[in-house]
Amino acid sequence: MSAIDDRIREVLKEHGRLPIEVGSLRDDDDLYEHGLTSHASVNVMLALEDVFDVEFPDVLLRKGTFQSIAAIRSALVSLGVEVS
Amino acid sequence: MNLLVGIDIQPIDEVESSLKTFGSRYRRLLFTDRELETCGDNSTTSSRLAARFAAKEAVLKILDIQDVVPSWRSIEVGGISDCRPEIILYDVAAELARLQGIRDVFVSLARSGDAAVATVVASAWSQSEGVSP
Repeated sequence: MSAIDDRIREVLKEHGRLPIEVGSLRDDDDLYEHGLTSHASVNVMLALEDVFDVEFPDVLLRKGTFQSIAAIRSALVSLGVEVS
Repeated sequence: MNLLVGIDIQPIDEVESSLKTFGSRYRRLLFTDRELETCGDNSTTSSRLAARFAAKEAVLKILDIQDVVPSWRSIEVGGISDCRPEIILYDVAAELARLQGIRDVFVSLARSGDAAVATVVASAWSQSEGVSP
């Protein structure tokens, strides 16, 4: 697992309010199906901005951006975050 | 005419926690200047903002969203008090409503100790009914 994934999972653990263990999630698991609410996704996004020192543009403020850990990673990479 | 109904519930403590953690970034991402002014900065702010977030989510449930998602700030809960609130749509939200033939949107807000609830009812008219969207 890469460093970026570890940090994404930490953010989800702290701000995602998921009713299951974040560690049990696979990268492509649907976070909304596992209990991520719209409001929690707002917190996840703001926390990701803090952790990775990025700003999500309006075009990424959509449900699909936070659908899975893989989707979040992809969005962060598109914002210039390095995977390793 | 079709009636569209959306409902959403928002735990108030989650909004309170977000306000403490993210402050103005959270406020500015989700709420318009008018909403923030209306809700003030006092002991009822969290519950009133929670009701408005629930209203925005309820509106999103009645809109036929495809690729472009309306921002939360494009859905505004207006009105001076929570007793007679109104929904005002801007930008993408307004355009989606227009395409669906939505003419009127009504909202009701409720707050208890733990949660805020919003229900939205909208009337949508088709072109065949003689009302162009």
